[in-house]
Amino acid sequence: MTTQTKPRVAFFDFACCEGCQLEVLSLEEQLLDMVELVDIVTWREAMSEKSDDYDIAFCEGSITREADIERIKHIRETADILVSLGACATIGCHNALKNQFSMDEVLYIVYGDRAEWFDTIPARPISAVVPVDYQVNGCPASLPEFLTVFKHILMGKEYKPPNQPVCVECKLKDNLCVYDKGLLCLGPVTRCGCDAICTSYGHTCFGCRGLVDEPNLNAAQDVLAKYGLSVEEIVGKFRVYNNWPELSLEESQSDG
Amino acid sequence: MSICVIEHDELCALVERLIRQWPVMGPRQRKQQPGFYYFDWLRSADELVWDYVTTTLPPKKAFFPPREPFLEFSRPDPAKVRPITDQGPFVLLGVHPCDLAAIEQLDIAYSDNAADGRYLANRARTTAIIGVDCWPDEYCFCTSVGTEQARGPADLFLTPIGRGYLVEVRTPRGQKLLGDTAQLLATDEDEADAAYFRSEKQRRITAQLETTVEQFADILAEGGLTEVWQKVADRCYSCGSCNLVCPTCFCFDINDDINLDLTTGTRIRTWDSCQLPDFALVAGGYNFRRERWERVRHRWHRKFLYLYTQYGQPFCTGCGRCSRACTADINLVEVSNDLIAYAQREKRNV
Amino acid sequence: MSESDPQLSASANVETYQPTIAHITRADELTSTEMLLELQLDDGQVLGHAAGQFVQVSVFGVGEAPISVCSSPTQTGSFELCVRAAGNVTNALHRLEVGDWVGIRGPYGHGFPVEEMVRKDILIVAGGIGLPPLRPLINLVLENREQYGRLIIVYGARLPKELLFKDELDSWADRGDVELYVIVEQPDDDWPGPVGVVTVPLRDIDIEPAQTVVAAAVGPPVMYRFVAFELLGKNIAAENIYFSLERRMKCGVGKCGHCQLNNLYVCVDGPVFCYSDLQGLDEAVEAWAPPTAEAGGERQEPGKGHG
Repeated sequence: MTTQTKPRVAFFDFACCEGCQLEVLSLEEQLLDMVELVDIVTWREAMSEKSDDYDIAFCEGSITREADIERIKHIRETADILVSLGACATIGCHNALKNQFSMDEVLYIVYGDRAEWFDTIPARPISAVVPVDYQVNGCPASLPEFLTVFKHILMGKEYKPPNQPVCVECKLKDNLCVYDKGLLCLGPVTRCGCDAICTSYGHTCFGCRGLVDEPNLNAAQDVLAKYGLSVEEIVGKFRVYNNWPELSLEESQSDG
Repeated sequence: MSICVIEHDELCALVERLIRQWPVMGPRQRKQQPGFYYFDWLRSADELVWDYVTTTLPPKKAFFPPREPFLEFSRPDPAKVRPITDQGPFVLLGVHPCDLAAIEQLDIAYSDNAADGRYLANRARTTAIIGVDCWPDEYCFCTSVGTEQARGPADLFLTPIGRGYLVEVRTPRGQKLLGDTAQLLATDEDEADAAYFRSEKQRRITAQLETTVEQFADILAEGGLTEVWQKVADRCYSCGSCNLVCPTCFCFDINDDINLDLTTGTRIRTWDSCQLPDFALVAGGYNFRRERWERVRHRWHRKFLYLYTQYGQPFCTGCGRCSRACTADINLVEVSNDLIAYAQREKRNV
Repeated sequence: MSESDPQLSASANVETYQPTIAHITRADELTSTEMLLELQLDDGQVLGHAAGQFVQVSVFGVGEAPISVCSSPTQTGSFELCVRAAGNVTNALHRLEVGDWVGIRGPYGHGFPVEEMVRKDILIVAGGIGLPPLRPLINLVLENREQYGRLIIVYGARLPKELLFKDELDSWADRGDVELYVIVEQPDDDWPGPVGVVTVPLRDIDIEPAQTVVAAAVGPPVMYRFVAFELLGKNIAAENIYFSLERRMKCGVGKCGHCQLNNLYVCVDGPVFCYSDLQGLDEAVEAWAPPTAEAGGERQEPGKGHG
């Protein structure tokens, strides 16, 4: 970027906990380095100024209402570069858990006899509605990947999220395998890029970054047997984050 | 080469002295998970465990780090592109025979042809290596690949005996390393102790390839084993763990990491795995080893056929790490024996 | 005591992966996706490449990519690279201008066996981005024209506007001692020439099989298979056919493993291979038999009446 004016950056959120933006705020000193390179013009969680004139949009959250569709389309039209930030925006995350139920049922459970005041549609990642240029995976969005994507954007580089499971980063850090501790881990089928942060701090992998391109679900069956786990257990664990792909077919039809 | 005996306390004193003098890497027990070990830089001799079972990563990480920034650059200034050479000599302790054999193999592969000067420079920083004999677990199969007595680049090699350790002083460097450590004369009884240790170790190794490495190479070269490869691939996550824990794997990737000033940065070499789906991908999207089974086969071919043919030894030292690391329980010895049995069955049927 | 191992120190050189700096002295757009860069190594160093070798090109902060040298080995003051924008590094190269600098490692690999070609008829088969790695060989033959027999060049591209080195094609066509066949798959209204893939003109060329050496680089792997099929059908011995292959070399020195093809490293044993050395290697997809019509379905499948 050799032009005098710095690229203008905006942050937006849809259905989410806004934790990914909080995570970005926690960069603190590095934020100062970032604003050397860009002007941040809109960021509701961090500042009161607003602008509808921006080049790069970071969008957190899932699309869950008709109004969201219009709003994200507007953002897409305004921004040169659209980035989906975090698991809600990239894979649907917890929001898409509701997709297992009928939308009427969901509305009734949440809003009871006021259900008709609200509308809702099956939750979906941003890429299901508009084309996305870059994505930062993770719940919350992983900061090393956020910074990598940020730098790639400014350098005009394409960023492909690594098509490798978390096992790779776990091994490079010389962690003991979570399975050796007798725990179930989604690392072998989950896309890395998080620097194996959960497993490095004694947790298991929750699968928040979505599946690798070609996960071997047959292998998962073998592992279930080895650790005496039921299919329901692993599916349940996996569904916490990964619900969207199952839905994609019927949705693409009903969306017309 | 000479032999002496060192008592346990003297050995501890030696380690303390080395730690004061150099960075020292050796096997440690994982605090949260007793019974599991890893190589790490030591702060005191107490941290070192001589009688450990195989570590998660092999000791190659001391001189071939999983992620190694090797070049620094500044985009506006070509004069500032230069190698990173900020590390000094170090000592590596407690290396098992299989891992000593592996270090020797890496040295061979990286010196061959167009030598990898970066690796060799790191290896040259290895001031000394002290090896130690070991007890096998159910995954060890060093006797099948002939590394159970390997000493490779060890300057000193220790075998546990009744009154301490029988020490093989293998190089002048090893002799110097001992310095003023009290060295006792090795008696016939000490040597008999060590011989007993070795024979007992071998007796305890249960995993075994059901043919020689030479015949195994022939079987792989003969081919026609797709059915077996596919069966293995059905269970394989392609997670790369087998490669990443392997002491003889030496593939890597190279990437640039630029700082947030978008001006300065480093070029990094990272361990890579031929089992990962994008390993053989080229520009334009063609993947030369697209199928999972082709990648599985490549791993065996590389270790037991290509590098075996090139260097006269299989690039597998029987450490068993790949089988231990596989969450899907793909066991190198079992698969190899399946291949052998399949090939023999096919031969009979012809 | 000595702190480092003298034996290992002997070949230890931290600069194995240290590129030499080169400045861009010319940058021409050849097509919408290909750019020709002329480079000079700093301090007047000579690249010293053989026809068919490649270099690793660095744009720092973006990465490194292997690219064939496309200028004649006899041109020593500078060298040329034809860069197709296909990834981050090559796209970054496209954004560079005269005066900018890059890092260069190499040259690496085995080139074409130029000595073996002396007094032989030379058949060059180039498809798309396959012409640049063959251009040093063509230039070398043209510079020493009397040492060689016939020079036949068959060059195919998808579209007329994707043809590379158009001026040179014209100059080759004008020479009396080059037999040039240029063909495109999808002609535009102005295209005067034949339509089809490279195997089409190949089929009709009369050659003396025992007297002919072939050098080919034809883009997608499947195309190599059709070309080999044609050449073998003309009774050219596999030993006289040389293919320049494309893989993703990371190190260039036979270590990183990415370009491995069975027991061979494309960066060290290639990128130019004798076809007979590829036959029987099941990972050399370029040497497989051409797909049959029934198996079909691949976009690059040559014209009708084939397979």
